Amino acid sequence: MLDTLLERFRQSDRLALARLLTLAARGEQLNELRSAIPQPVQGTRTVAITGSGGVGKSTLIGRLIELLRKQNQTVAVLACDPQSPLSGGALLGDRFRMLAKPDDEGVFIRSLAAAAGHGAVADHLDVMLRLVSAFGFDVVLIETVGAGQGDTLVRELADVVILLLQPETGDDLQWEKAGLLEIADIIAINKGDLPMAEQVEAQVRATLGLANGQQIPVIRVSAKTGEGIEALWAAVAASESGHGIRFDPGHPLLRRAQESLATWFARAQADQHPDLQQLLAGWQQGTLGEEEAIQALFDLMARGGVTPPLT
Amino acid sequence: MKKKPLVRVVLAKVGLDGHDRGIKVVARALRDAGMEVIYAGLWQTPEAVVRTVADEDADFLGLSLLSGAHLTLVPRVLQLLRQAGLDHVGVLVGGIIPEGDVPKLLQMGVARVFGPGTALPDIVAFLRERSGARSA
Repeated sequence: MLDTLLERFRQSDRLALARLLTLAARGEQLNELRSAIPQPVQGTRTVAITGSGGVGKSTLIGRLIELLRKQNQTVAVLACDPQSPLSGGALLGDRFRMLAKPDDEGVFIRSLAAAAGHGAVADHLDVMLRLVSAFGFDVVLIETVGAGQGDTLVRELADVVILLLQPETGDDLQWEKAGLLEIADIIAINKGDLPMAEQVEAQVRATLGLANGQQIPVIRVSAKTGEGIEALWAAVAASESGHGIRFDPGHPLLRRAQESLATWFARAQADQHPDLQQLLAGWQQGTLGEEEAIQALFDLMARGGVTPPLT
Repeated sequence: MKKKPLVRVVLAKVGLDGHDRGIKVVARALRDAGMEVIYAGLWQTPEAVVRTVADEDADFLGLSLLSGAHLTLVPRVLQLLRQAGLDHVGVLVGGIIPEGDVPKLLQMGVARVFGPGTALPDIVAFLRERSGARSA
């Protein structure tokens, strides 16, 4: 049955894509799906939009769809909304706010239920990403559940993370807190048509300015009027092309590498890899700095001796 | 973790009436019964509704109409569902449907019409029974 579905999927049958996404969402035949589509297609641009509930994520995605279709790019949206911890049911109301032409084959929107405590995204989202990417969509937009300050899992799934903020959501101490703010590649202040938006933008800029070397764009937008949407997408494109080139201390890529270090070393130990074990020893004893360790790791990878763990 | 619910229902209002209290009450009841409800909301065209059902891989489509346009819009939705290869989707209709029109809708292929005064557990039970029968 799966083979038939995959065959239809490869022939661009949308209903097959829809059914495969259902399988993935329910956690059925994940291994078969993962081996059928080993990784997302190169060149698919995956962008996550996160932020608290009511901040305007769905409406913003609606605007981005509009813009991307004008640029002749096809878009798939994976929109997460919370699943009830009591009944297991869910009310998925994101697509309601994303206006799309019903006869436009270039837009695919799927609503997903995300269980509490799973980082504000649906389970097995990695498999769903592969599916929509392999189906041929140029851009995949992930919408998280209205996210709390600690919901950082989406960082692992997207090339670019846009954190959406809004006016009137607390004083400037909020922007000093760890978590969600740290994983953003781009910060967008939505509801830019409201009077307090400028103040929030100034606060966020001031906070980011305190950190060394970080160059996170802050962009004021209004999903309601459409203002700033083009600037936001330009920032997405720029943020992506910057990956792997700039290596300032505090650059998101470097920070991510640092986060991964522990996992990599643990795996090296398990694999009994001699070079990595030596690296680990050096790192733990402090004879090797973190950045040197990362550099050494990259050298090992370049020589083909080590593969990074799949997340 | 609870097992993912097996029933996905799209709820939509087609046409121009703006009365969405009833459909929201139904959405809430199905959510609380452990179903995944995709709320497509007000002012939907038949084309948009069918696209939603297709992309969301829904098992059921619930249409709410209080405008009197049901004999125009419901057949259009049913026809588009058939054209899209979605005959397996159960279609429910709610709202203000004159009694005399109910048999006509059923004749067209609507699975059930739930009018005002319907007890919410009846809708839940109907969907459970139907989805059980389908997956069996």
